[in-house]
Amino acid sequence: MSVSNRRERGGVPSLSLREPFEQPSSIGAWLHSRRAAWAFMSPAVLLITLFFFIPVIVLLVLSLSDLKSANFGTFQWWLPTNWSLDNYSKIIGDRFISKFLGNTLFYVLTTLAIFNFGSALLIALITTHINRRAGFFFRLLWLLPRLTPSVVYILMWRRIAARAPHGILNQFLTLAGLGGGDNLLQTMPWVFVIIVNGLIGASFGLVIFTSAIEAIPRDYLTASKVDGASTLQTIRHVIVPMIRWPILFVLTFQTLSLLTSFEQILLLTGGGPGLFRTEVWALRAYHLALSTESGNTQWGYGAAWAVILVIIGVAAATIYMRVFKFDELVEEPKIDLI
Amino acid sequence: MTKKFLITLTMLVGLSTLVAACGTADPETITVVETVIVEVQGDTVEVEVPVGGELITIVARCRAKPPTEDWRCNNLLFGVAEVNADLEAAGDSRRVVLKTIQDNTGFGDIMQEFALAYEDGQAPDIVLTGHEFIGTEATAGRIVSIESMIADYPEFDNMIDGLWASVTFKGERWGIPQDTEARPIYWDMNLLASVPGWDAARVDGLAAEIEAGNFTLSDMLDAAEAAVGAGVVDAGMGFWMRPSNGTDFTGVYYAFGGETIDAETGTLVYDTVAGLKFYQFFERGLTGDGAHSFLTGDWGGSYHPNVSGGNVLFWAGGSWQWAEWADQWTGDLGGEAYQFENWGYALYPAGEAGGSASTLSHPLAYLVSAQSEHPDLALALIAKATTDEANTRHAINSTHLAILTTQASYEPYASAEFLASVTYMLDFSRFLPNNPNWGTYQQTTFDALSGVQAGELTAQEAVDFVVETLENQLGDEIIILG
Repeated sequence: MSVSNRRERGGVPSLSLREPFEQPSSIGAWLHSRRAAWAFMSPAVLLITLFFFIPVIVLLVLSLSDLKSANFGTFQWWLPTNWSLDNYSKIIGDRFISKFLGNTLFYVLTTLAIFNFGSALLIALITTHINRRAGFFFRLLWLLPRLTPSVVYILMWRRIAARAPHGILNQFLTLAGLGGGDNLLQTMPWVFVIIVNGLIGASFGLVIFTSAIEAIPRDYLTASKVDGASTLQTIRHVIVPMIRWPILFVLTFQTLSLLTSFEQILLLTGGGPGLFRTEVWALRAYHLALSTESGNTQWGYGAAWAVILVIIGVAAATIYMRVFKFDELVEEPKIDLI
Repeated sequence: MTKKFLITLTMLVGLSTLVAACGTADPETITVVETVIVEVQGDTVEVEVPVGGELITIVARCRAKPPTEDWRCNNLLFGVAEVNADLEAAGDSRRVVLKTIQDNTGFGDIMQEFALAYEDGQAPDIVLTGHEFIGTEATAGRIVSIESMIADYPEFDNMIDGLWASVTFKGERWGIPQDTEARPIYWDMNLLASVPGWDAARVDGLAAEIEAGNFTLSDMLDAAEAAVGAGVVDAGMGFWMRPSNGTDFTGVYYAFGGETIDAETGTLVYDTVAGLKFYQFFERGLTGDGAHSFLTGDWGGSYHPNVSGGNVLFWAGGSWQWAEWADQWTGDLGGEAYQFENWGYALYPAGEAGGSASTLSHPLAYLVSAQSEHPDLALALIAKATTDEANTRHAINSTHLAILTTQASYEPYASAEFLASVTYMLDFSRFLPNNPNWGTYQQTTFDALSGVQAGELTAQEAVDFVVETLENQLGDEIIILG
């Protein structure tokens, strides 16, 4: 069973076709005809302008300057005469650029696939197919990591991974004769980085997917059962197609969120062990721009790293929209069922 | 009633103003119009502001680890009464109160906070931080040179001369050293005496051998490896250093003859020959099984319990940590008495034969904000904290070393056994350079060390990485030697 609202695909015959819009005679009239749309859009436009476009422009200008704590307050970073592409040249000249990029892609894709999307969808499907109260309880459990303050959460994980005899996991591993009792954050840092972030991230998709699945009219699910579909077939052919919107949203949002997240990595491994083993792009930008052991943080240089991250994020969001045919998802229905 | 009260008040104020305007009044008989109570360690100080006088609030921001380092700001609080007495005696109608902000925030974070507060016009008058931040802060114009004002305060004449180098940038002094310390190498005497080739007599003579340059860092690793081989300590427990980035590593680089700054131009210097020896030392420590890959732990969960718990043969620490260990880690065993009985300490051994023993000192310094409207009062408060009595309170409580020439013979300091026994190390002290690019330099050399410790870089690759990164990020602001 499939549903299409596109007339040219020969879907359900229309019961009433809308009249095409009349073309306004002037710009004023054009704006007037869309004032309701602008009124509805304006809060979102305002927020996006304030919290995305303006910061991105400031970031871009900063990235062209040599602003750092040693000239903060005296250097006029906003003047075009003080702009150059030197920071970007430095980034290209950094031999570890591929490592930071590789770390970032590995971290984002793995965490997304296993937890933020994969586990979220799986748990949403399972908890909506079991007893309602039990489903609610299990979903609540998955929210606990998100509810726990980051520092407490990471301290807990550091103790879990600590070397023997203090580490909780190592106590069991030692009993079982496994491992050398080393700090597990040193021997398998990525495993912990992904689990620690994933357990927090999964709850977001879980809530969205659960509500989307619960919103599917029961008639569709009943109809598929009447048609003899198994549970797996129902999920594949009915549920997943009908929650394509939330899937696009969760994938896009969580990809961007993971791209820019570094808080847990900073607290857990600091980007180590060793030389940048878990240093992702956002953490690199943070280290350069905002973290210093002995002074002189490089705000301009760090901003250049962040600008590249914005470009990667916008590119990723665009690809998702193409793959999921975003235009079709937001297309105005050609028919109105009365 | 209200009207009568207002008339009386107006007359009183008018009369007071008249008295003050005459300018001939004895300061002791000036009418007090305001009394401020300042609390200092449970005590209180009354600040009386004369008619026509001005009550000035000086704000001091101190980086201090409680409870051992609290005197950093508290000594300034004790100076309030003395400064006000001096002002009164001089016929100056200004009076001072002090607001302190003191905690254990990281050095970098405190200085970011200072920069942002400065930009917002709310910088504290005094900031106490590591001297190596002077390069950045002076270059940005956020602190004032005190070169021309130092002579106004006789207390500063008593400063140990060598310490002024730590606060000098481009030929001028930008801060007042508040404390200093040594970074000794410690060892567990009982463990060391059990290592093949060692006995109690050799252990007793080790500090002198190190000072004479006869016992090197390489010899230390020999002993560490022998200790592991003989089962005296577990593998990797022969020699430890701090578990995170910090100035100690620059001390080891100095021990191998490294330089960090060109004295003539003030430009940072990286010596590839010393750098290679530095990384080879850590490479050997890792591969030879004598040294633990110490960048893998943390302070409370790994470093302190192991070094103070009889598990590690040699370890690099700070003189200030002697007090921390006694207070928090060996208290049950007897604290300082236990440490004297079981631990030895000395300078960092020379990197190789023919070199010299040394230590790295990291003085903290009071800096005066360029936004302070009363830098003379800020310095007056600092001067009151720069006395034998005040500084020794801090030195004893935190096992930091003397900064004043008369302090070594000041009875309370001289009778502090540990302080008295390590004060000689000041003669072997090196400092970090004062240069705005030091943060990048230190982070880069540490990143390379992390790579060596993890077995991801060889010593030569680490040096190549440092050179490439410093040249990429600092351009012509770095001199590569070798």
